[in-house]
Amino acid sequence: MKNFQKNLYHQLLYIRRVQEEISNRYHPADNMKCPMHFCMGQEIGPAALSSFLRPGDAILSHHRSHGYFLANKGSLNEMIAEFHGKETGTNGGLAGSQELSCTKTHFYSGTILSGAFGMSLGDAFSKVYKNENNITISVIGDGGMEEGICSETLNMAILYKLPILFICENNKYSTHTKLNERTEYQNVSDRIKGYKIESHLFNSNDPEKLYMLLKNLTSKIRKTKKPIFLEIMTYRFNGHVGPEGDDHYNYRSKAERDLWSKKDPLKVYRKKLDKKFGIKFKNFENKILNDINKKIDRSFAFALKSSFAKVYKKYNYQNTYHKSVKKFFNNDISFNKDQEDHRPMPY
Amino acid sequence: MKKKRLLTFAESINEAQIQAMKLDKNVFIFGLGVEKTGHVFKTTLGIKKKFSSKRIFESPNSEMALTTMAAGAANSHLRPILIHHRVDFMAYTFDQLVNWISLWSFKSSGKSSMPLVIRAIIGRGWGQGPQHAKTLHSMFSYLPGLTTVMPSSPSEAKGLLLSSIMSNDPVIFLEYRALFNTKEHVPEEPYFIELGDVRHRLLGDDITVVAMGPAVLTAIKAQDICKNKITFDLFDLRVMSNYKLNKILKSLKKTKKLLCVEDGWGSGSTSSELISKIVESGVELSEPPVKITWPSSHVPMSNPLEKDFYFDERNIVKAAEKLAKIKI
Ligand SMILES: Cc1ncc(C[n+]2csc(CCOP(=O)(O)OP(=O)(O)O)c2C)c(N)n1
Repeated sequence: MKNFQKNLYHQLLYIRRVQEEISNRYHPADNMKCPMHFCMGQEIGPAALSSFLRPGDAILSHHRSHGYFLANKGSLNEMIAEFHGKETGTNGGLAGSQELSCTKTHFYSGTILSGAFGMSLGDAFSKVYKNENNITISVIGDGGMEEGICSETLNMAILYKLPILFICENNKYSTHTKLNERTEYQNVSDRIKGYKIESHLFNSNDPEKLYMLLKNLTSKIRKTKKPIFLEIMTYRFNGHVGPEGDDHYNYRSKAERDLWSKKDPLKVYRKKLDKKFGIKFKNFENKILNDINKKIDRSFAFALKSSFAKVYKKYNYQNTYHKSVKKFFNNDISFNKDQEDHRPMPY
Repeated sequence: MKKKRLLTFAESINEAQIQAMKLDKNVFIFGLGVEKTGHVFKTTLGIKKKFSSKRIFESPNSEMALTTMAAGAANSHLRPILIHHRVDFMAYTFDQLVNWISLWSFKSSGKSSMPLVIRAIIGRGWGQGPQHAKTLHSMFSYLPGLTTVMPSSPSEAKGLLLSSIMSNDPVIFLEYRALFNTKEHVPEEPYFIELGDVRHRLLGDDITVVAMGPAVLTAIKAQDICKNKITFDLFDLRVMSNYKLNKILKSLKKTKKLLCVEDGWGSGSTSSELISKIVESGVELSEPPVKITWPSSHVPMSNPLEKDFYFDERNIVKAAEKLAKIKI
């Protein structure tokens, strides 16, 4: 087995297992009390991307963010603690899953559709402004792409030549509403070409193919400093917001679900590696599975023993200034009569 | 005695930006038409020549994405100044203010910050009508995490803008259009005014008057009419929320009378909130507080109607006469 295959499989399995365990442990313990958008079935994007992220790169993501948070070397301890609302969480317990962020690893997300997509402009702009060779990854769903701000963002990204990789995970649903009830186009990448942005459609369940594509796209963006748009056709196995399922609402057919379940990139890749490497793969898988499970256990233990924050109001304002501000000017009349005769002329 | 340097409100804003750009190379300016014909009421005049197109540049008509661009850049430690020719355009950017910028520091538990400034022109200009003359400062001030500043004069504009740019919190900086040509002595060196420090503007004994932006000038004009018969202890709020109340409370203990003057709608206004804070503080007033604001109506375009819409110094004098029970 090659190293990249090991990494790829490890990432896919890691992201899946973490989410399975969060789902499993959510009820009846109910220690986590926040809405969560799981990405089971959609791990291929973050897993394939993870190898090409360099220190200083940033990810700005929509609400279905767990995979990208983990792919970006986000701390599992801090993520699970965040879901428990604990002080040790990445956001000090103030944000939860929906707005999971980590200043250290430059990972930011939010649940209001498409705001983070727009923020990627400024993030990438700062990299150009400071002459850094980093890139910005901007993740969104097919539903988010319908917001007006996306049009503005794409236009500005190419106009200002910003190093952004836009990744649109097209899972065909916005909550329970199918794409064909929302737009005439069925592929988001089609409409991107009008902005003069290079755009790609990835419609496969082969993680290695996506790995190769992302290798090319990320290095191209680092070189050209121009944005690229990538649409990944995918499917979410879990409900829109979890951990409860929502297929009893019958918004997507069983035939469709079964079809995609058969195409599950993790399952398919596992079979492929198993067939190719046999016992070597099995040993590898056993080892990483064991490590992952232990890591998950540790993170839950960490979260449970962490405490809740005692203060939160002070975080609304930083109440600090740039270092050039050393003292404040005082022009109170009671202290400085000199100002009295400087009345502005009437307008 | 050396003659003191006079600057217009617009020149002060121009100078503040230039000095901020010199103090920190991470300060940059962008927005619609910032580098074109009018140069935003001349406030951006000459900046490109002094710096470069990296530090000041044009943008498409995309207020939402411009705002997220400022937000993303500020989160990465740049200090953007985004300019809107009218505050009314900011209606497009409600999501960015409400769901991203104002809560960014909070939701990161203080680990991330958003040191950006959004400059917007507000208020009265001839015939601007309902879509081009709003103030909206009280709406912004409702949000925790956001600082809304409204300067009242050239020297105030300079110090407050420098502080706003150098603040590590997001600031909405509102410039009342009718003030742009007012003149005042403005010190040359860069100086900073603490955001949240209410300015004691005039010393008086009879009525505590609190105003912000152009209303401070209108109140000064009213004081001129009242001469010594009624004197105002006048305060310039400067910042619409999160200000220190102590100076105003101290004044009220002396005057026991409160008059608020505000260029904007009265309900849910900055003055309403101020009165609420004062009542909550338990300070005793001898008369019910009085609020002079715009009528609860959109701004008419027609010239005579427009004149009728806005209050002026005579309205303040009338209110003062009633409060002080003195006829001028
Ligand atoms: C501005 C806004 N409108 C509506 C919602 C409610 N909402 C949350 S997720 C979602 C579906 C978004 O679909 P998509 O972008 O395809 O992402 P997915 O959930 O499928 O991963 C909707 C409508 C929201 N969060 N923000």
